[in-house]
Amino acid sequence: MSSHRFMSVLAPSALCLVSCAAAGVNSNGKGLDPDWQNDSGASIAQVEQRLRGLPPVANARVAVGVSELGLAGVTLDGKSHWSYAGRPTSAPIIAGPLVIFSEGDRVVALEANTGNKAWSIASRGLSLRGAANDGTSSALILADSHKSVFLGVSASGAALGTTESKAALGIPAARGGLAFVPWSNQYVSALEIKSADESGRLLTRVQISQALNFGGQLYFGERGLTRFDEKVRFASTNQANHVGLPQVALPGKPTWLGSGFANSSSQANARTKIRIFAAPVAAQTGELTLGAGTFAASYFRVVFGLDAKSGALRWVRSFASDIVGGAAASSGFVLCDESGTVWSLDSSGGDAGRLELGRKVRLCALDAGAEGVPHVPARGGLANQIAETLDALEPDMAEAERYLVSELGKLPDPIVTKTLIDLSSSPRIPPELRLETRRLLALRRNGAEYMLSALARHYDFVSGVLLPPPVGPLADALAASGETRAAPLLAKHLNDPANSAEDVAHAARALVKLATPAEYEDLRTFFALYRATADDEALVAAVIACAEALLRIGGSEGRAVVERAAQDPLTQGEVRRALPEVLARPAAGSTPPGTPT
Amino acid sequence: MLQKLAVIGLCAGMLAPTMALAAPGDRPKSRSTVDLESRKKALESGDEARALAALDEIELAADQKAAPLVEALLGRGASSKLLLRAIGVLGALGAPSSSTALAPYVKHRAADVRRAAAQSLARTKGSVAISALRDVLRSSDPALRGTAAEGLGALGAKEAVPDLFVVLPKEVPEAAGAIGKLCSAEECKRFVGLLGKLPFDVMESGFLPLLLRTDAAVPDAVKLQLIEQLRRMATQKASALLSTALASFPADGNPKIKAAIDAALHGRTVTSTEP
Repeated sequence: MSSHRFMSVLAPSALCLVSCAAAGVNSNGKGLDPDWQNDSGASIAQVEQRLRGLPPVANARVAVGVSELGLAGVTLDGKSHWSYAGRPTSAPIIAGPLVIFSEGDRVVALEANTGNKAWSIASRGLSLRGAANDGTSSALILADSHKSVFLGVSASGAALGTTESKAALGIPAARGGLAFVPWSNQYVSALEIKSADESGRLLTRVQISQALNFGGQLYFGERGLTRFDEKVRFASTNQANHVGLPQVALPGKPTWLGSGFANSSSQANARTKIRIFAAPVAAQTGELTLGAGTFAASYFRVVFGLDAKSGALRWVRSFASDIVGGAAASSGFVLCDESGTVWSLDSSGGDAGRLELGRKVRLCALDAGAEGVPHVPARGGLANQIAETLDALEPDMAEAERYLVSELGKLPDPIVTKTLIDLSSSPRIPPELRLETRRLLALRRNGAEYMLSALARHYDFVSGVLLPPPVGPLADALAASGETRAAPLLAKHLNDPANSAEDVAHAARALVKLATPAEYEDLRTFFALYRATADDEALVAAVIACAEALLRIGGSEGRAVVERAAQDPLTQGEVRRALPEVLARPAAGSTPPGTPT
Repeated sequence: MLQKLAVIGLCAGMLAPTMALAAPGDRPKSRSTVDLESRKKALESGDEARALAALDEIELAADQKAAPLVEALLGRGASSKLLLRAIGVLGALGAPSSSTALAPYVKHRAADVRRAAAQSLARTKGSVAISALRDVLRSSDPALRGTAAEGLGALGAKEAVPDLFVVLPKEVPEAAGAIGKLCSAEECKRFVGLLGKLPFDVMESGFLPLLLRTDAAVPDAVKLQLIEQLRRMATQKASALLSTALASFPADGNPKIKAAIDAALHGRTVTSTEP
């Protein structure tokens, strides 16, 4: 067992020694017994059998935004818009047919489809951490830093079973009169909503702080999800149905579920905009996977679609406003942006429709229910999507830009070459990112037409071309491809002082391989201008490479130029020392036709 | 920029180009015949001191026959010190053939070398010089662009006026002087139309040459419009410019324009009777 794995098993157990002993105090229900003994999944299996025949009850398909004015809701079928004037102190939670949130010293439930108030109940001086509804009654978790309270609530808002715990209780789910309450990082207790009595308990070896309802199916977890099904009894031996995300480094390091032991807030922060949206679904093979094989990650106003297995980027798109909430559907995603637009995206990121909340919002709660988002016609290829997204980003989105550029470099499409050229020449790109685009560009072996077209450009103050093309990387790439059409263009760049000395050195090295007699004059001019004035390492290297090229394509005249320089005391020291060796080298290949004599 | 403008402002009152862009009459006359063979050997010796001495002699002799020797030196390349001296000498000799040898050096990576080359090109002249200076106007070196603009004005490169208009508002105030010297009727009208849109300091160096031009390319109406606009500005700088124009008004200039300048200086409205 690796140390990491060992700790992941040990940590919850150790934590339990402290917290389990403190659980279940001050309760009117018989739940959360800290002295509970592992029953090898027997009790949770009984609970699962009890609920198996019940039809799944999905949460309402609704988007609810929080603004200064209160809440604004829209059902995802677009049939109902509503608003609630107030000052919510928690984020709204979509629980079955209700939207539950705290306001002042009350917990308030609205009907998700209409916004009408269903009930409100005293919050007992605690913050709302989580809420669930089984279609009839609700389960609330209220908490502060000292204790957590489970509270069952009837459809009319009457208090039902309650139990208090010094152990932190996580976000609950509900089904068939039972609330599933995670605690101590490794337990999920099935509490009767009416009495708070515990009917069964799940012990897992993975961290659990949230119970969730995806399309009517229940899941427990934090980093990954364990499905509540006939195999859940084997969770303590890691044999339950489990799904997780692949390890992938994404901008802003977004998390999927996060800890369920934190109280929800009605205020937004950066984490509101940097999130992962993924929905577990059963594949036809029965294997548990993530919706349509993809999950989505938001980073302010960019959303990345990623492969559920490998984590590879599959699609990307940018929005006009930051994404402040979202949910994954069984296929596709529903996202909400700061302007109050609710976007439906299919599993390829295609725009499948949008709704308006009618006001700007700072955060959003959404549930896509059991339905998937219908497919829409395919968007352009990933290379184009990345290019479009990069074009739309501001310089302060450097982390997203870095990630996209790195993904771009992995794609074989010729259009990637053009995008890399554009990025390398863009004044909007941060310097370190430009270096990366140049590195990737030098490795390209296709898109030669784009490279040649870029090389035809020069710095031009009159035309407003204020950055030269990335001559060095283009020279490397074209030389590696043996692209002789690049020779005249590279030769012209030798004598353009707007290019960096490093780029010029790369161009000269490429010309050693690519030059033809037609480039003789440009090479000779460059050699004359710098053989005695080269004042840095790159320029010295360029002059020496130029001498090699002159010897290869310049015939006797070219050789005479180099020999004379080798003898001239005015020739720069390092150049002069290198030239005899260059002159002594055997000519590489035959002299091309048309060589000056 | 302010320093640059100040220098241009100082030049505004001068009719003749700067020393760097000397007119043909400024070229030193040949004083002696150079021993070409010995100078050639000196320039090819690889001995910097000897070559510099040879260049001194060539410049002193002011004999254009020696220009090819210096051009050959540029063709071979040399140390920065020698290059700068050789470029200066070619400028002083003013041989049109030298433009071809000088042209590549306006793209040298060393700023002092390329600026010296641009200044010398303005003195060696010819289509090669104009073409090279037009290229330089596109360069990334701000000072060089200014030198090129002045050079194009001195060389009468009318074909460069559209490019000069492009660079004028982009911190190349020297373009104004060139435009004032070279503009066609429409271009002059456009130039005067920029007064009020661009800072006076940027445009100032173009107004005097425009007002003092005696060729038919500049319609009197444009000059009168400019005089009236300057009068309305009623600033010290505008008045100083009009005063300078009156003081240096050419003998063969249109008396109507001279009278208009005088009227404007006395606060009287100037109207154009031309369309």
